[in-house]
Amino acid sequence: MNKPSQPTLVLGIDTGGTYTDGVLLDYGSRRVLASHKSLTTKRDFAIGIEAVIDGIHIDDPSAIRMVSISTTLATNAIAEGKGKRVALFLIGYDPDLIASFKLEARFVTPLYFYFQGGHDLYGREQAELDLPAILGRVRELRDRVDAIAVSSYFSPLNPEHENRAYESIASVSDLPVVLGHKLSTRLGSVERATTAALNASLLAVLQDFILAVRRAMERRHIEAPLMVVRGDGTLMSDEFAARSPVETIHSGPAASAIGGRFLSRLDRMLVLDVGGTTTDIALIEDGQVTVSEEGATVSGYKTAVSAAHMLSIALGGDSHITYTREKRVAIGPERVMPLARLAAEYPAVGKQLQALRRRQWAQATPDWLEYWFLLREPSNESAIDTPQEKALVALLREGPRPLPEVVDHLQLLHAGQIGARELVRQEIVGKAGFTPTDLMHVEGKYALWNVAASEAALEVFSHYQFQEPDVVRRRIWAQINEMIVHAVLTFLSDKDFELPFGHRSPAAGEAADRSVEPRDRDIARWFFFNSLYQTHPHLETRFRLKVPVVGIGAPAQIMLARAAADLGTDLVLPEFHQVANAVGAIAGSVMVTEELLIYPRLDSAGLEVMAYYVQASDQRQEFEALAEAMAYARALSEERALGAAVRSGADNPQVTLTVTGDGLDTYRVRAKAIGNPRLAR
Amino acid sequence: MELVQVGTERTYDAIRLKIVTLELAPGALINEQILAAELAMPLAPVREALKLLVHDNLVEVTSRHGLYVTDVNIPDLDQLSETRLTLEALSARLAALRASGDDRVVLTSLSQELAETPPDDNRRLLELDHRFHQAVAKAAHNKYLAEALERFFGLSQRLWYLALPRLGFLPSSVEEHLKLVEAIDRQDPARAAQLMHDHVAEFYANVRTVLNDQP
Repeated sequence: MNKPSQPTLVLGIDTGGTYTDGVLLDYGSRRVLASHKSLTTKRDFAIGIEAVIDGIHIDDPSAIRMVSISTTLATNAIAEGKGKRVALFLIGYDPDLIASFKLEARFVTPLYFYFQGGHDLYGREQAELDLPAILGRVRELRDRVDAIAVSSYFSPLNPEHENRAYESIASVSDLPVVLGHKLSTRLGSVERATTAALNASLLAVLQDFILAVRRAMERRHIEAPLMVVRGDGTLMSDEFAARSPVETIHSGPAASAIGGRFLSRLDRMLVLDVGGTTTDIALIEDGQVTVSEEGATVSGYKTAVSAAHMLSIALGGDSHITYTREKRVAIGPERVMPLARLAAEYPAVGKQLQALRRRQWAQATPDWLEYWFLLREPSNESAIDTPQEKALVALLREGPRPLPEVVDHLQLLHAGQIGARELVRQEIVGKAGFTPTDLMHVEGKYALWNVAASEAALEVFSHYQFQEPDVVRRRIWAQINEMIVHAVLTFLSDKDFELPFGHRSPAAGEAADRSVEPRDRDIARWFFFNSLYQTHPHLETRFRLKVPVVGIGAPAQIMLARAAADLGTDLVLPEFHQVANAVGAIAGSVMVTEELLIYPRLDSAGLEVMAYYVQASDQRQEFEALAEAMAYARALSEERALGAAVRSGADNPQVTLTVTGDGLDTYRVRAKAIGNPRLAR
Repeated sequence: MELVQVGTERTYDAIRLKIVTLELAPGALINEQILAAELAMPLAPVREALKLLVHDNLVEVTSRHGLYVTDVNIPDLDQLSETRLTLEALSARLAALRASGDDRVVLTSLSQELAETPPDDNRRLLELDHRFHQAVAKAAHNKYLAEALERFFGLSQRLWYLALPRLGFLPSSVEEHLKLVEAIDRQDPARAAQLMHDHVAEFYANVRTVLNDQP
């Protein structure tokens, strides 16, 4: 044990949508000793991470005993189609069946191919494996793809064809090969194929990332194990992550939830992480993040990977506040730089905003509150082709410009024609605008930057609708509150009704599938607004959330206080909640699960059970009686889970075994080994 | 390499290629830092990879604690060739006796690919030749033999690159590979061993001529 005088230093890093946060933590006392925030660099996450590692003051880097990181890298790569080129080999799948249910879109890649082979639901070979065809396809695709994913029908019951395909492909090519049964023992063949294809497309992306983090650590002389957060908040070694990048999906929100628990020391809570771009909701029950029963869904792809049950809405401190075409206030989904901050960096912007204040109300349209500016010079590899893109970069090189001036300068009619999506995506051109952060500046609750600029912006925004700034400010906060309460209800009830304003978050779309009937929407809406504003003279309704809300992120206090009150619960803001996401990256346990399947071997007529198989990913054993098979499976899964957990960096892992029936005399034996991370030295 | 460190495999492949293609010349001093920077890799996997290359006889540690690319000389060549000749012939013999259906599909696929590759695509031919020998060794189903052959292969590849400017790729060897696959397919161990022996012997004879001619 460590003496109290010797802190156990660990470094946690969280790469969010807007900011990359890092904390230096004393693991024993749970005290944050130092923290740093830098902008997330989506074009190359490693840049932002290096900036964070460089920015944290560390007296003795050699004293750091573990580094752990949560990242939206995988989620982002999938959303932006930045994964590598993948060929998906489907063995024993029925092309007609896939076509009739239009499932091809779920295969992630247009390069999917069917081959003869596969097994049936008793693990029997349904057709011979067509290996010559597979190798012929590999030869043909060699220079056109970066990785190959293989999924064979019922491979969790019998992975023989996947394994044989792997051996042969690896003999003739250098391409990385991903096997479906290694990622999931669930039987759903389409989800398994999706998962394998996504994993293959992310392999190189995550490996590059891990190597970049390792280089950054080396430069700072940090010699410690590197862990990566999974989508369910548990940790895995960097090597494991490099092989299973698909498991990092949703690791950011999961880390926030873990951090909330670690700092609050509560066992039941609703964690709300208010970031710059999004607000993420997760639930902690019995000290654990609740995990989604179905696999994680990312960018509409349903996977077989387990991840935290969470909801993310596009509402954060830096959400863009605008008017819709119907002149309603809209908050988000776009994230922009707050005007207070832009004006602090460019004094000219502050002066322009003051001048705007003096214009006639109707002339000072909210468009003038949107600024475009140059984030960085385009590098050689960033392809900017069109004359318009070049003209835009040249214009912004002189300084930030309000949107109407940009439109005018490029001789366009409206903003939609600027067409700078690629420049924005590459983080060459940035946008600034009116945000909740500006409101906080006006109120003096959070005033890091130029308060006068925020005041001017609020005034212009309000006067455009001929209203007083105070009224508009209160209306915006009420609307933000409605969005948060609504998100909590959707998350907990799995039901959704549209708010009369704003946008739908992609995650909410999922829930909308099981949405309320149209005739019920009226009462749902009435109940919702009556509970927030007590509009009915005789009938009072209220929400009462039975667990506290734990707020995470710098704006949590301001953005969540009212929501917690409206939900009838307490808002808990643990010390260091501002950086709880990064704390969560390091506070999780190391977990490894090993699943074995037991299923019967039938006689040739398929009627009588002759024996039971115990199927592991690399071996199959046969037993006469189910009891023997069960005993063997329990022992083997426990031994393997323990071994793998220790290899993944768990300290003294504990194993829990669960056995579930899958129907058809098939059983799933799952050993889950959990332990605290083993720290260096 | 059961539990490969992230990046070690990549780094190993990259440095190995530099050595066998003579980009890192025989006898050259190796600087870990520079190599790591060049490959944009952390230092740790570079060190791991260099250890593996020492095992492959492509890198040596000298008494002054410097790392060097191993040198090439004629006595070494003789010792290498007699070892490889015997082991490769054994490998082909065992492959003819033990190759599974899948092994044969792989060998056929590789020989087809070899036949389709343009004769001037040296790097590709080199890689395919390597895969072919690996596949034969795998079909022999003797892991010690396969490991031993793999250890010597890098040295042979480097000789090939050394002799290449005067040698060119031997077109006859595409033919030889096809015949060898046939012999393995027909389960003819004697013929498979003979063909492999002749194929490797011819290679070393050619290399020796080229190196002897060198000033």
